[in-house]
Amino acid sequence: MTTGTLEHDAARQPTEAAADQVRAARFGALRGLRSVKVMVGLVIVLAFTLVAIFGPILVSTDPSAVSNDVLQGPSAHHLLGTSHNGQDIFSEMVYGTRVSMVVGFVAAILATVLSLVVGLTAGYLGGVSDEVLSLITNIFLVIPGLPLVVILTGTMPNAGELAIVIVIAVTAWAWGARVLRAQTLSLRKRDFVEAARASGESTFRIIFREILPNETAIVAATFLSTVIGAILTQASLAFLGLTSVTEWSWGVILYWAQAQNALSYGAWWWFVPPGLSIALIGTGLSLMNFGIDEFINPRLRSAGIATKRARKRARADRASRARGPVPPVVPAPSAARAVSAPAVSAPAVSVPAAADAGGSAAGRDDIVLEIKDLRVDYVTANTTVRAVDGVSLALRRGTVLGIAGESGSGKSTLAYAITRLHESAAEIPTGQILYTAADGTRTDILRMSERELTDFRWEELSIVFQSAMNALNPILKVGAQIEDALAAHRPSMTERQRRGRVAELLTMVGISTDRATAYPHELSGGMRQRVMIAIALALNPEIIVMDEPTTALDVVIQRQIIDQIMELKDRLGFSVIFITHDLSMLIELADEIAIMYAGRIVEQASARDFYRAPSHPYSRGLIGSFPTLSGPKRALTGIVGSPPDLHALPAGCSFNPRCPAVTEDCRVREPVLLPLRSTDGHERARVACLLYEKTEPVAAAGADRS
Amino acid sequence: MHWQGVRMTLLLRRAFFYLVTAFAALSLNFLLPRMIPGDPVSRMLQRFQGKLDPQAVFALRALYGQTDEGLWGQYVDYWRRLLHGDFGVSFTNYPTKVTTIIGQGLPWTLGLIGACTILSFLIGTLLGTVAGWKRGGWVDSLIPVSTFLTSVPYFWFGLIAVYLFAIELRWFPLAGGYTPGVEEGLNFPFIDNVLEHAMLPALTIVVSSVGYWLLSMRNMMITTLAEDYVLLAKAKGLSRRRVMNSYAGRNAVLPSLAGFALSMGFIVGGSIITEVVFNYPGIGYTLFQAIGGQDYPLMQGIFFIITIAVLGANLIADLVYVLLDPRTRRAA
Repeated sequence: MTTGTLEHDAARQPTEAAADQVRAARFGALRGLRSVKVMVGLVIVLAFTLVAIFGPILVSTDPSAVSNDVLQGPSAHHLLGTSHNGQDIFSEMVYGTRVSMVVGFVAAILATVLSLVVGLTAGYLGGVSDEVLSLITNIFLVIPGLPLVVILTGTMPNAGELAIVIVIAVTAWAWGARVLRAQTLSLRKRDFVEAARASGESTFRIIFREILPNETAIVAATFLSTVIGAILTQASLAFLGLTSVTEWSWGVILYWAQAQNALSYGAWWWFVPPGLSIALIGTGLSLMNFGIDEFINPRLRSAGIATKRARKRARADRASRARGPVPPVVPAPSAARAVSAPAVSAPAVSVPAAADAGGSAAGRDDIVLEIKDLRVDYVTANTTVRAVDGVSLALRRGTVLGIAGESGSGKSTLAYAITRLHESAAEIPTGQILYTAADGTRTDILRMSERELTDFRWEELSIVFQSAMNALNPILKVGAQIEDALAAHRPSMTERQRRGRVAELLTMVGISTDRATAYPHELSGGMRQRVMIAIALALNPEIIVMDEPTTALDVVIQRQIIDQIMELKDRLGFSVIFITHDLSMLIELADEIAIMYAGRIVEQASARDFYRAPSHPYSRGLIGSFPTLSGPKRALTGIVGSPPDLHALPAGCSFNPRCPAVTEDCRVREPVLLPLRSTDGHERARVACLLYEKTEPVAAAGADRS
Repeated sequence: MHWQGVRMTLLLRRAFFYLVTAFAALSLNFLLPRMIPGDPVSRMLQRFQGKLDPQAVFALRALYGQTDEGLWGQYVDYWRRLLHGDFGVSFTNYPTKVTTIIGQGLPWTLGLIGACTILSFLIGTLLGTVAGWKRGGWVDSLIPVSTFLTSVPYFWFGLIAVYLFAIELRWFPLAGGYTPGVEEGLNFPFIDNVLEHAMLPALTIVVSSVGYWLLSMRNMMITTLAEDYVLLAKAKGLSRRRVMNSYAGRNAVLPSLAGFALSMGFIVGGSIITEVVFNYPGIGYTLFQAIGGQDYPLMQGIFFIITIAVLGANLIADLVYVLLDPRTRRAA
C-alpha cells in the first residue's frame, strides 16, 4: 500500500473555500486600493504636502510680523484673522504646516528605519539576538512614551526641531519593530525563503530581496501611523511650550493661542485651524491605512459592501417569496429520477407526503433528502461565478451518498448550500432541497424562514466541518460546545440531563467522559474530529453532511474515524452525505457516488457499479490518481492539466481540455446527464459525456439540465 | 493540578519581564539629569540663592552627578534611595518632599485617567462588537467620525470642549479638580463637587479615545466571524447572543486586550496633557509644572510613579488575558 502518496496529497489539497478566498482576495485588493476611503485620504495628505512644500514660497506675509490689527476675525486681508499682536494666522498656518509635516515625516522615517532594522534582525536571526531585541522592544513599548518625551525635551531647554525629531523617533519605533518581527518570523519559514537559503544566497540578499518586499504593506501601515503619532507628539510638546516657541508649527500656534487666552476672547480663528489641520491629516493618513488594512486582511474588505448588498437582497427575496405565487413543490415521487413528474402546487413550508408514494417503502426508494436542479452563484461586484450548476441528487434513508471531485469542483459549496450555511456572497437562484422527515412530512430547506431553519438544522440535519481545529471554539470546553446545542434545541432539559447526554455522546464516539472539561487545544487531531462528530450527533439528526471530515488527519486515524462513523451510522440509522476528494475511501464507504466537475455532476452510480466500471473519462482519471486502501496494486495515472477556472470555462464539455478521449464535438456541444444501461437493461450509471450519447441516444429523462 | 502550575510559570515570566522593564526605565531615569548640557546646578543655586540648606545643596549636586563618587557609586546610591522611597525634596515647592506632592496628585490622576481609560476600552469594545456583528449597521457609520475624533489632539479637543461647555454654555466648571474652599473629605458635597469637575475632562478623554478601541474590536470581530467555529455555532442553532458573546466576541477581544495592555503607556501619557488643559490637580499637571520650574527631583519621582502604574496595569491586563484564554498555559 502506498499510503504515503495519499497522505501527502491530502495535506496538499487546498480546500475549495480557501481557493475561493484567494481568488476573491486577488480581485478585491485592486478594488481596495481604488476605494473611496483611500482616495479621500490620499487627497488630504497630498494637499497638506503641497502646502508644506510650496506654501511658504507663495505666501509673502511674514508669520512673525507684528501689526496693529490685533485679534481680528477672518477677513479678505487676513484670511484666518490675527493674533494678540497682530500676526497673520493664515501665514502662521502655512509656515507651521511645513514644520509640522517635516517633523512628522522625518521622525516617522527614522522610527521606521529603526523598527525595520530591529524587527528584521530579530525575526530573521532568531535565537539570542531575537530574545534580547524583543526584550528591548517590549521595554520601549511599555514605558510610558509621552512623559518620557516630555522629560527628555525638558532636559534640553529650547530644543531645536532636530532634537525633537530624534526624541520622537527613539520613543516611537517599538510597535513597528514588534509587528515586523512577527511577520519576518512567519515569512522566514515560507518555501521561497527556505529555497533562497538553500541555494546559498547571502543573508543580506535574502532579507532585502525575498523578505522585505513581502512586508511592504505592513511597513507602509506602520509608517503612516507613526507619522500620525509624530505629528501629534510634536504638537503636544509645542503646546506645552517645550520646543522653541518662535519657530512656527501647528503646536506653537496653539501654544500662543492658549498662552494668550484666545478662547476667552472668542478668537476661534486662532484656535480652530491648527487643531483641525492635525485632525485632518491624521484622518487622511488613517483612511489610507484602512486601505492597507483591507489589503492585508481580505476579510475586512468584503465587510461593507457585499454584506450590505446581500442582506438587502435577502430581504427582497423573502418579501417576494412571501407575497409572490408559491412555486410548486413536487410531492414525494416514488421514483426520484422521474424528473418529468407533474408539478403540483403546494404550500411553501411542509406538506404531508402522498399516502404511500414513498414514505412507507423502506429501502431503495425511501428518499430522505432530494436536491433538484440546485444552482449556487458567487456574486462579486462585476462577476458572477456559477459554483454549482444544476445539480440533482437523492439521498436514501440510512445510506451514504459520496460526492467527490477536485478542488473547485463545487462539492464544498454544495455541502454548505444544503445546510444553507453558504457565505453571504453566494446566492442560490434556483433549485429545491426537499427534506422528508421520518413521519413523511416534506419540506423545502431553501424556503424555510430563518426561524424554521434554526430549528431544523441540527435537529434533523447537522454538519461536520473539514478542520476540527478551526471548527471548535478555542476558549470553550468541548463539553460546553456539545451542551449548548442541546440547550438551544431542548430548553426543557435540565443541566444534569444535558451533562448526561454529553457523557453519552462522548462515549459513543470513543472519548472518555472526563475529557468533557478539556479545551480543544488539549486534544489530539483525531479526538477533536471525534468531538465534532459527537456535536453533530447531539440531537440525533436524520442526516449528517460531512465535508472532508478526515482530510487533515493521518491515515491510521482516518481509518479509525471512518470505521467509527460507519458503526454509528448502522447503529443510529442516520444518512450521510460524504464529501471528499479521496475516491478510494468513498468507494469503500459510500452506497452511491456522484462525481462533480466544474459545478456539475458528471457521473452518478452505485459504489459497486462505479468501482467495477467508472464511465466518465474524468472519473477514470480520478480513480487512477489514488491508490486504493485495499486491493490490487496498479499504476497511478492522474489527470493532466489543472482544475478548471470557473471564471472562464471552455465551450462545450468543461472537461474537454483535459480529456484523453476528447473529440471535436466535445468542444462545441455540452453533454447532459443521461442513464447508461448495461446489456441486461440495468441502469448502471448516469453519465454526462458525449462518448455515451453517441452510442445511446437520448431516450430517458434528460431534463436534469433544463 | 498541573495546569495551574504552568499558568504560574507564565505569570512569573511576565513578572520577570516587568521587573526588567522597571529596572531599565528607572536606570534611564537616573541617567537623564546627568545628560543635561551646561551646569544646571549653578543655575539652580542662583535661583534659590540662600534658600537651600547645605543638605539640599548636596542632594542637588548628587542628583546631577556632581559628587566625588564615581558613576557606579552614584547609581548604587540612587537605587538605595529609591528603595527607601526617598525621592528627595521638590525645588519648586521647597521644602516639601517629592513623595508628598506625588501622594497629593496621584489619586486625582488614577481617578480620572485610570477610570476613563478603562471606561473607554469597555465602551469601545462593546460598540466594536456590535459594529462587527452588524456590518454596515448604524454603529459602522460612527467609524469615520470616531477616526476623526481619534486623530484630534486630546488637548485641543479638551480646550474646545472647555470653550463650548464651560465658557459659553456654562454646563461644567471651568477648571480644577474641585472648587477651592469646599471642605475636603469623604462627604457628599465634596464628592459631588469632584464629580462635577471631573465630568468634562472625562468626557473628552472617552470621546477622543473610544474610536480606537471601537475600530480595532470591529476589525477583530469581522475576522473572527469568518471562523468556522462561529459558523458552526450558528448552525447549531445557538441564540444570537450566545454566538456573538461566547463564540465571536470572547475570541475577538483577546488581541484587543493585548493591545490595551501594550498601549496603556501611550494612552496614559496622552491623557496627562488633558490635566494641563483642565488645570486638573493630578500628576500630569504637576509634571508640567515641574518641567517649567526645572524641578528634577519631582520629574524623576513622577516618571517613576507613572512607569510603575503603567507596568502594574499591564500586569493586571495580563492576568485577565490568562483568565480569558485557556491556551496561554500552552505558551509557557
